[in-house]
Amino acid sequence: MTPPRTPAQAMALMARETRARHGTVPHELDGIAVAPGFRLVAEGQFLLRCDSGFGYHYVPGEGVTVERPVGGDLDEEALWLNGSVYAAVACLNGFYPVHASAIAWQGRVHAFTGPTGEGKSTLVAGLGQRGLPMFCDDTLLLDLSAPDRIIALPGHKRLKLTEQALALTGATADGAVGADTGKSYAIPPAGDVREPLPLASLVFLEEGPQPKWTRLLGAERFARLADDHYTQGLYHDAQRPDRAAQFQLRARLATQVGMAVLARPRSAAGFAGSLELAEAQVREFVE
Amino acid sequence: MIALEQVPTKIAGRFSETTIDDEVVVMNLDSGDFFSLAGTARASWELIDGSRDTAAIIAALAGQYAASAEEISAEVRQFLDELEAAGLVRTA
Repeated sequence: MTPPRTPAQAMALMARETRARHGTVPHELDGIAVAPGFRLVAEGQFLLRCDSGFGYHYVPGEGVTVERPVGGDLDEEALWLNGSVYAAVACLNGFYPVHASAIAWQGRVHAFTGPTGEGKSTLVAGLGQRGLPMFCDDTLLLDLSAPDRIIALPGHKRLKLTEQALALTGATADGAVGADTGKSYAIPPAGDVREPLPLASLVFLEEGPQPKWTRLLGAERFARLADDHYTQGLYHDAQRPDRAAQFQLRARLATQVGMAVLARPRSAAGFAGSLELAEAQVREFVE
Repeated sequence: MIALEQVPTKIAGRFSETTIDDEVVVMNLDSGDFFSLAGTARASWELIDGSRDTAAIIAALAGQYAASAEEISAEVRQFLDELEAAGLVRTA
């Protein structure tokens, strides 16, 4: 059980624990060998060894050691650091990750979740064009340490969009993401919010014949909270919650956060329709 | 089928439950299966206290829903059987 933290304490903790320095990393944790291409959470620490030769080792209180191979790509180094490593540090410190991109409006966070490629980042970029600032892209970190509130931590990742999403949203590209990801960094059209805020709603994106917003009620809220993103694996490795703890976690989200499904066809018209719906729902959101 | 004089009891430690809107979600902690209980199913679940026998549960539900005990008896007993089969309740 994580003791209650203030939002400011949560931010300070993540800033402190994700400090990175270069050095050598071990090839095993707790006597368990970690081959290139694998990661391990053990003894409260995290070890990641990438196929490309990069290595990352997190020790609580000491931050992250990064081993960069000769000729290692700096962009790749940053991608791992902001992806798996950041998520692992968060999970080991009791934060809960959700595979979602989010915007902030009137001091609260509205997050959009769905499988990879479902359009989370594209929707957030589109909402930015309509004046709603980005809160995070791809990974939403939640602080559940206080029982009466769910606080979301602002994103640490830059917005990443495909060429198609850039064209669809009119967002401005700001350099390629790595060598062969097919994505570009993009400037959030309405800027981004850098302070922790309460999570107001979680919206599940899915494909449908026409843009449609459906508020979720009852047990469906609970059932929808099955998340198979890799960060969930990190959370389970780090916290090892039993079934009762997993139930309580889902129950909290289901009872303390508004939930809806946003269905829309995969087309430019479908995107425009879903933007209108999402913007209206966010601006008019009532508990 | 459970007899009218039998007393169903929730098996403590075998489940977790939470109320979401008008429904109660109950998870079997051994299997990970969860059940959504609404309406009469929720009312039945909430009447299982380890002291009421099946007849008393049926009578209470009949009062709540303005129905006769005969009308709802089979349905309630079947539901209690399902709870037992799901490992959430035992009968004595």
